[in-house]
Amino acid sequence: MRLYAPVTQETQEQLSDGSMEFLSIFLEGLPFILLGTLVSGFLGTYLPRGTFEKILPKNPILAIFVSGLLGAIFPVCECAVVPVIRRLVKNGLPVSSALAYMLAAPIFNPVTAISTYKAFGDSIPVTFSRLAMGYMIAVIIALIVSRIAHELFLKPSMKADDHHHHHPRNINAALNNSLRDLMDVGLYFTIGVVLTALLKTTVIDPTSDFWQTLANNSIIGSAGMMVLAFVLSLCSTSDAFIAANFANFRYGPKLAFMVFGPMIDAKLVFLYSTVFRWKFILFLTIAIFILTGAFALLFETQILPMWMDQQSTLPLPS
Amino acid sequence: MTSLQTRLFGLIACSWGGVLLYFYHSTRVRKYLAPDFHHFILAGGIGILVLGIYSLINPKEKKDSHDHKDHDHDHDHDHEHEGNCDHHHGHDHEHEHAACNHPHEEGHGPLITALLTLVPLTIAMTYSKDTFSFTALSKKRVSIQSVAQNQSGPPFTREDLEKNVSRNELGEFQIRMITAFYAAGDREIQGIFEGLPVELEGRIAPEELSKKKGNRMLIFRKIITCCAADLQMVDVALEFPDGAVRPTPGDWAKAGGILTFETINGDVFPLLKVREVVEAEEPYSEFQLRQ
Repeated sequence: MRLYAPVTQETQEQLSDGSMEFLSIFLEGLPFILLGTLVSGFLGTYLPRGTFEKILPKNPILAIFVSGLLGAIFPVCECAVVPVIRRLVKNGLPVSSALAYMLAAPIFNPVTAISTYKAFGDSIPVTFSRLAMGYMIAVIIALIVSRIAHELFLKPSMKADDHHHHHPRNINAALNNSLRDLMDVGLYFTIGVVLTALLKTTVIDPTSDFWQTLANNSIIGSAGMMVLAFVLSLCSTSDAFIAANFANFRYGPKLAFMVFGPMIDAKLVFLYSTVFRWKFILFLTIAIFILTGAFALLFETQILPMWMDQQSTLPLPS
Repeated sequence: MTSLQTRLFGLIACSWGGVLLYFYHSTRVRKYLAPDFHHFILAGGIGILVLGIYSLINPKEKKDSHDHKDHDHDHDHDHEHEGNCDHHHGHDHEHEHAACNHPHEEGHGPLITALLTLVPLTIAMTYSKDTFSFTALSKKRVSIQSVAQNQSGPPFTREDLEKNVSRNELGEFQIRMITAFYAAGDREIQGIFEGLPVELEGRIAPEELSKKKGNRMLIFRKIITCCAADLQMVDVALEFPDGAVRPTPGDWAKAGGILTFETINGDVFPLLKVREVVEAEEPYSEFQLRQ
């Protein structure tokens, strides 16, 4: 009697393809995580407490609105932003402002704007819609979170250090902090990438008839495209090209794909777990899912047609 | 963190950095990332390695060399100390945290971190063939309908073609695969390329991936923005004359012939009626960038 199943050609191919997916994302993401953890380590060591309270507007609501725009000045990808946020929150940056920056920055930044513009055939309306949706959803979620007690969603280790401990401010401490952050974030990043590679290799086939049938209905299509974005875990600078490839889908589902993915995906949930409690991550996923779906439909049915109709009636430049 | 933990984390960091440098040095990185990202791998690898080595050499936090009397470092609360702080608790005092391991850092230990990161990394490095199987590639095809929807750019004329595109010794235009593929999405550009003698360079895929059967194979290129995870495939069908020598799937080749277009289920696809397919030298990176 055989105690093991024979390894088929298909299994071998899947193992190789999964390894390829894993290594691609791991190799691409790790240098940026290092960058994020170096920044976080040095900020954590040298940045005086309360710096952000001085820089950001005193009004907490205004501070959230401003934080959501910071990606335009400090563009970071979704992998690098998490370690930076960890340290900034510990150093006293209001969590709601941190969340607004964390969610908006991967979308509301010039690199993502250019790639979306090119992917959709130099389309300003689609680019604007994506950036506007990303910003608005990030701000709405941050406003909700600003009314919740931090203990309910922050990990205990993430609470701002209110004690007046003296931590040494030297290069050694900064590098030790960076190493600690790199290990924490790198661990969860790896787990997330393993999950992504498994799902991409075994479960998801974006060209299958199943995904194509979702295109007929924008509500179901948007939900489906958000699930796909979650699984594919693409970088926000490249996902527009994949979204544009779904020719049968209307703009709503495509926007949902491009807004949901950079805010939350299979690898990001593990990265977020270094900052937030799992229950909050579940809440965050559901909230982003609902808001993205609603905004995607709004933009598809109201805003984009209005804009595109107006554009088509404009006289062509001579 | 204790000194031992710091050293063990330093070793893990050295392993990660070593992996990045190995991929860069062995040029395996070409199969995974766009050329623009290669120097990030080099810089990242060196950075992580330096951080790891530094932690191996200096596992303890050093005290500040300057005077701290001006800083607010009173410790006026009770808290749990796990480390070897030799001071009294629950009253005002000053201390350095370097020798003190109380729980305001949370995270997994080095053994868990090593297990959960180095094991998948080792498995992936061992089993990856540095390319996707044809089955996986077929899921990454660019949809021809999307090409028609997202066309942009300045107008293109026959004069532009004559002026900007080089020819081989037989007078065939050496056009990019992506150009031939995207021509299918625009009726006017189709008119320029229809019946044109062209030479395409790319990798060969087997007949099973063709949309239509019968004496056919595919020639394709991979286009990416950042890494192979966002890879997409653009392909042109190759139709061989009877008795023609067919290349081996997976080979890098140049295919010469007449470019035409065919309609399958209402969609237009490019088709090369093959004159000859010859093996060619693989370029440094087989990826074509989107931008």
